[in-house]
Amino acid sequence: MNDDTKVLEREQLDLAETLRRSDVDLRLPAVVPREPFPIEPLTVDARQQTHAVGQRATRLDGRLHGLGQTKYIDDLSFPGMLYARIKRAGIASARIKRIDTSAAEAIPGVMAVLTGSEIPVNSFGPTFQDQPVLADPIVRHAGDGVAAVAAVTEQIANEALAKIVVEYEPLPAVLDPVAAMREDSPKVHAPNSNIYATKVVRKGDIEKGFAESDRIFEARFSTQMIEHVSLEPHAAIADWDANGRLTIWATIGRITLARADMARTLKLPMSRIRIIGTIVGGNFGGKNEISQEPALALLSKKTGRPVKGVFTRGEEFTATTTRHPIIMDYKTGVSNKGRILARQIRLVLDGGAYCSWSATTLGKACILSPGPYKIDNVVAEAFVVYTNKTMTGAMRGFGAPQVCFAYESQMDDIAKALGIDPLEIRLLNAFDEGSSSPTGQVLHSVVVKESLRKAADRFGWEPRS
Amino acid sequence: MIDVTIVVNGETRRASVPPETTLLKLLRENFALTGAKLGCDVGDCGACTVIVDGMAVNSCLMLAGQVNGRNVTTIEGLATRDRLHPIQKAFEDTGALQCGFCGPGAIMATKALFDENSDPNVKDIRDALSGSLCRCTGYTKMIEAVQEAARVLRSESRNSSHTRELKVTAP
Amino acid sequence: MKAFGYVAAKDVGHAVALLGEYGARAKLLAGGTDLLVELKFAAHGPEIIIDISRVDELKDISISDEGLRIGALVTHTEIIRSPIIGNLFPALADAAHSIGAAQTRNLGTLGGNLITCVPSMDSGPTLMALDAQVTSASRSGLSQVPLADLFVAPRKTSLQSDELLTGIIIPKANFAKPAAFQKFGLRKGQALALVNAAAAFWIDQDKDSFVQPRIALGAVAPTVIRAPRAEAFLEGKAITDEVMAEAGRIAATEAKPISDFRASADYRRDLVAVLTKRALQSAYARASNKVRESVP
Repeated sequence: MNDDTKVLEREQLDLAETLRRSDVDLRLPAVVPREPFPIEPLTVDARQQTHAVGQRATRLDGRLHGLGQTKYIDDLSFPGMLYARIKRAGIASARIKRIDTSAAEAIPGVMAVLTGSEIPVNSFGPTFQDQPVLADPIVRHAGDGVAAVAAVTEQIANEALAKIVVEYEPLPAVLDPVAAMREDSPKVHAPNSNIYATKVVRKGDIEKGFAESDRIFEARFSTQMIEHVSLEPHAAIADWDANGRLTIWATIGRITLARADMARTLKLPMSRIRIIGTIVGGNFGGKNEISQEPALALLSKKTGRPVKGVFTRGEEFTATTTRHPIIMDYKTGVSNKGRILARQIRLVLDGGAYCSWSATTLGKACILSPGPYKIDNVVAEAFVVYTNKTMTGAMRGFGAPQVCFAYESQMDDIAKALGIDPLEIRLLNAFDEGSSSPTGQVLHSVVVKESLRKAADRFGWEPRS
Repeated sequence: MIDVTIVVNGETRRASVPPETTLLKLLRENFALTGAKLGCDVGDCGACTVIVDGMAVNSCLMLAGQVNGRNVTTIEGLATRDRLHPIQKAFEDTGALQCGFCGPGAIMATKALFDENSDPNVKDIRDALSGSLCRCTGYTKMIEAVQEAARVLRSESRNSSHTRELKVTAP
Repeated sequence: MKAFGYVAAKDVGHAVALLGEYGARAKLLAGGTDLLVELKFAAHGPEIIIDISRVDELKDISISDEGLRIGALVTHTEIIRSPIIGNLFPALADAAHSIGAAQTRNLGTLGGNLITCVPSMDSGPTLMALDAQVTSASRSGLSQVPLADLFVAPRKTSLQSDELLTGIIIPKANFAKPAAFQKFGLRKGQALALVNAAAAFWIDQDKDSFVQPRIALGAVAPTVIRAPRAEAFLEGKAITDEVMAEAGRIAATEAKPISDFRASADYRRDLVAVLTKRALQSAYARASNKVRESVP
């Protein structure tokens, strides 16, 4: 072949193929290309199994993960980068009387210090903007940040934190969400009530339902605060370019929301804020909002250098969101055969110091609280309440796991009391195709009973007489 | 500052660092080997696991001076230019890597296990992985991956010794 | 971590000299699995770290006329793998295996576990049940005391500021004494003991009764303790499940547990009774198997 043909050939190469070849060439070490996953166009049909289910699919990022070449935020570094640390209040409820950062600023290697008063708009949040970037002047939980430093090494940043003097006036704190609902309880966000969101679901006639019931069961269930413990801690890097545009590399899973919150706190147009969501080492709901990013951005602005902040494992527990503890009161009326005729529920969610994703959690918990059962008469009232404790927010399930624990536990209690097999009582009450949910939604693709029966078969559950 | 000389993945590396530098920091910041991760910094999560003189260790719990003159293998030292290490391939194929953050640590813990025991049972595997926490996978796939990798490595070593025999008997 | 100096000790003599020079201003680095965590959270760090991790003299496992000597720098992994220990005192290997995880066992040392001196230490109860002695070296020379004398209070040993723990010795008279270790934690791995217990006793083959029983308990007092009343109860009694259960109940009354976020004092007392009984049963089973194995 002469050179002309070779040139033509080259031009005709599919662009994707060119990219693939150059990508393979660049990839070190050279490895055998994987089998392509069989993809066919899918026409979704209700109640039909798609081709993909049951296939083994290899994750695209698995290769680099296994090689240790995936770059998470803490693996990134930039020339001149500084390290940020945030001083945590360590007290549940207080007013900051005085912050003296002078000793910290005097330490060689400390390039900037930041307090709440320097934040252009010191409030943010994915639902209500009730959380300060740095507390000023009210501290609402022990993990509240009160000051931030940027230094040339983490060691110096830690030293600087210890040298920041904060004088607190302790304020009354409320730690129990039920107590926090009372009017005379200390107010976490004074002068507002501690109850910051409510939801009610009503269906049918609850009094009639109880009147028709043969037995009524009442119980209180409660769940504890749980932390995501993603292996990768929260981390971010902030840097400004010469045109005054801010770039943040962050572990955040909701980029546009983060840009909006950053725009608001920094009083900067969104068009000047670029957030790069990096490969994240576990999110589970805990990394869907900004936290330290505005502070890092301001430290970067002050110093003219990129600033990286990585939470310690301890901060993951005290200064990031957790799963809502919920106190769940269930009153259930059943027939002697175990058919649920009425269910009345009250949920009190421990909403921590700031709202975060609590309103969403509240909604889900409330709607799902009666369980996947056909119940004609339902009242579910849910409240999320401020307390001077760790923030509660989104975590895998968003309120569903907690209420599931409650209604399934009560189902077992009812089955035991009535002498009915726990599987049978569920088959008696579970949704069918076309059943209506507590909020009146008509449900399709309902396979609850088939799944239960199949599962029982699989692990050998025999109805006991 | 102290001077340390360490053989990392077969290459002699030198650094002059403050004594309080951990092996993890040394690897990540001085040698740009970011495969070992900082997950807890107190030796609980295992994301920082590397192999020092044949033993799986938490690199966040070793000081630079402690590793002076020793041999260190990190995740970056497992794959060669020609192929993925069977452990890496097995973890990838079985789906034992989701977010991947615990991966390098778990893979190195597995490598250390295989260096001692080429046919571990499930109890041995659980024991070797007991220091590697994972929040994504639930560990089941990891155990499958380790079993698969063990199978591959055993058959590879059988094949290579078989080849040697053939070479000897060939005219 | 805050900055500190660093020096590597070449041998025991060098280590002792360095300790003599720096005293309380220094901390010893053996495996580092406890020390580094401490350093990362300390408000004030030491001035200097004396790295003894390469003092090979302290890494031996050997038998002499005195007994079995385990050097202070022997790691938990080495204890698990030692054929000598596996043969004479498998309970020691069990205790070592219950510590942390593979990575921490590869670095963590017996000496370090004893020196950190937390009430829940896993190496202490079995050694105490086997009447171990500890050896140490200082500028004044060598010293040997019963293990119980080493433990003064949580995180406080009897060692002087220039004194280096060099190892433990289990007396020859106790070689192959049937012993067992039990631990209960909130998880099976990487867990501190809510309660741990060790039991050791000889068996009078004719009467099938307890001879020289020893019970040691951890995590239920400021230090690892013996249960002398339970021991006195067992001496000479027939080896039955009821007797062992009763010994457990007596041991529970000798424990002084606290309530903390891991468990209540009541729960810990319950655990003492159960773990003591299980340790006794396990030691007996071990002894019976050995007798069965040796019968031709």
